[in-house]
Amino acid sequence: MSPILGPILLFALLAAALAVGMLAVGSLVGPRRNTPVKEMPYESGMDPVHDARRRFDVRFHLVAIAFLLFDVELVFLYPWAVSNKAVDGIGAAAPDLPFFPLIIFAELLVFVGMLGLGFVYAWRKGLFRWP
Amino acid sequence: MLTDPRTIAWLGPEIVLIAAATGIVVAGAFLRGSAFATMRIIAAVSILAAGAALRVGEANHWMTTETGEWTGPLVCDPLGFLVRHLALFAGLLLTLMLSRGADERDGTETLGLILFLTVGAMIAARANELVLVFLGLELVSIPTYALLYLGRNDRDGSEASAKYFFLSILSSAFFLYGASFLYGIAGTTWITAPEGIASIRDAVSRDPQPFAMLGLALVVAGLGFKLAAVPFHFYAPDVYQGTNHRNAAILAVMPKVAGLAVLIRLVVMGLPGVRNEVWQLALVLSVLTMTVGNVCALWQTDLRRMMAYSSIAHAGYLLIGIAVGAAAVGDPLPYGGVAASVYYLCVYSVATIGLFAALQSLGDGSRRVDSLDHVAGLGVTDPWKAAALAVFLFSLAGIPPLAGFWGKLTLFTTAIGQALRGESSMTPWFLGLALIAVANATIAAAYYLRVVGYLYFRTPPATSADLPSQSGPAGGLAAFLAAFLAAFLVLAIGLHQGPLAEWADRGERGLRALEPPPAAAVRATGPQHADIADRRGSLREPPE
Repeated sequence: MSPILGPILLFALLAAALAVGMLAVGSLVGPRRNTPVKEMPYESGMDPVHDARRRFDVRFHLVAIAFLLFDVELVFLYPWAVSNKAVDGIGAAAPDLPFFPLIIFAELLVFVGMLGLGFVYAWRKGLFRWP
Repeated sequence: MLTDPRTIAWLGPEIVLIAAATGIVVAGAFLRGSAFATMRIIAAVSILAAGAALRVGEANHWMTTETGEWTGPLVCDPLGFLVRHLALFAGLLLTLMLSRGADERDGTETLGLILFLTVGAMIAARANELVLVFLGLELVSIPTYALLYLGRNDRDGSEASAKYFFLSILSSAFFLYGASFLYGIAGTTWITAPEGIASIRDAVSRDPQPFAMLGLALVVAGLGFKLAAVPFHFYAPDVYQGTNHRNAAILAVMPKVAGLAVLIRLVVMGLPGVRNEVWQLALVLSVLTMTVGNVCALWQTDLRRMMAYSSIAHAGYLLIGIAVGAAAVGDPLPYGGVAASVYYLCVYSVATIGLFAALQSLGDGSRRVDSLDHVAGLGVTDPWKAAALAVFLFSLAGIPPLAGFWGKLTLFTTAIGQALRGESSMTPWFLGLALIAVANATIAAAYYLRVVGYLYFRTPPATSADLPSQSGPAGGLAAFLAAFLAAFLVLAIGLHQGPLAEWADRGERGLRALEPPPAAAVRATGPQHADIADRRGSLREPPE
């Protein structure tokens, strides 16, 4: 077996074990209530079969925006990592400055901190307070 | 591209403002009640601190060098220095303008959003890279959407927000589409760069293909929306009328500051390869814009609707300078088109914000001064505010010795100068432009002076319900302070126009010296060209 395949195999095994384990534990331990509502597909509060023009709560929209906050954060981490590859000494020479890698890291912290503050603001404004 | 640590230092004022804005918005969610007054002081202090950071960071630089420096995405040059000052001053006036009664509920959010859009205009003022340009423009637009929504909660208000939102994202799409063509031609997002580095300017100069014109047209369409130039102006009257004075002031000034700076850097200085198309486009847009704006303003009775058409007309005047600057680009003699435009932008912005601040200070939280009848006889009932309003109106109309007169004078003389000194094929065009502009200034005087007539030669309305500022404190001392500051500046610039004119001139000289002359100009010019090459050579020396 090639040395690269080992970790991959381990990862695949762990992932499969996690998935099967969660399903198994859920079906063994979880309570079972077979009401008609529970057996509908997507029973997350919405009627799955209805007119497409139905109104729905505007707070779904707000939650979607809060989700987007962290979704976009993740998208930005990749270009940040790629464009600063040189700091590691892999690519072109980094500027010869004492705290340069720290500055690069602080950049990211500022970005994540801003998003965190946005999250705090949304929380404080009652975004997650559903009556 | 590596992060240049110097960029962080040069972004000092912007960082101060962003930190203050974030702090104000988040803290406002935790503090209830009397937070607004404190937060407004914090916002004003942070703008002053940003101004101090701007001066400390760059003052020494301008003592020693003339032209500025190319540092990649951000350009550090006198034009950016001046426009950032303008954005900060506009931000300060807007912060003062918030009326206490109406903004109590969302006051801290409003303050934070005003700081954010100030930063947007400051970034757009010196962005030399397409993505950063777009970031600056959007940082002006997105807070504006929220501000329009927060401004008024009635039917007109929601119509205004929806209209502005959809048309603005459409214009952003136009701009991005055009920018993608420019990127496709050049293969880089740099607008200008020193020799040896690929840039849009070089690529378009080398090979002005049809796609460059397509890109130019789309970019101008996107920026024309920000300036409210004529085929893209339809939103302005409805949106201004449907919102409040403060939002109208923001709409009339901030997108214009950002849009004009981008127009200068990206279109005038960035596309000399298609400069004939640029000046023809700007000239036609300018004539259309000022004529339509001024003629439509004549029969408006709603003050904000009238000011909307007035802001359209002033966009036309600004485009005169763009046309002259584009026609003269690459020419070793700076003809002053860009400088005149920037100078006019400054005097227009101060007078417009001041006018809206004075109108705001007349009303109070529950009622606004909307129509011409509401200001009738104000010269008797409230002489100070009437005098301030008259100063702004005279300045916008271009009556000497106020600031607006010198702005119009420089614009018109640069147009005539270009007609006399430019290529002979340009002469009839620029002479015609100057004549139409003068005729337009006369038309404009009619509706501005009509308001002055209402202020001083009408009797106040008889019914007490129609009287503004009858009881209690009116729209706020701070709004009046903003109007007073602006009026003082309009008078000061009018009587002592030297410093501002010098900075505008330095801005244009800095732009021209920073950039290599296009291939056509190198052939056409002899001795003067050596001068530019000389100045450019001195740029490469490391800064002290």
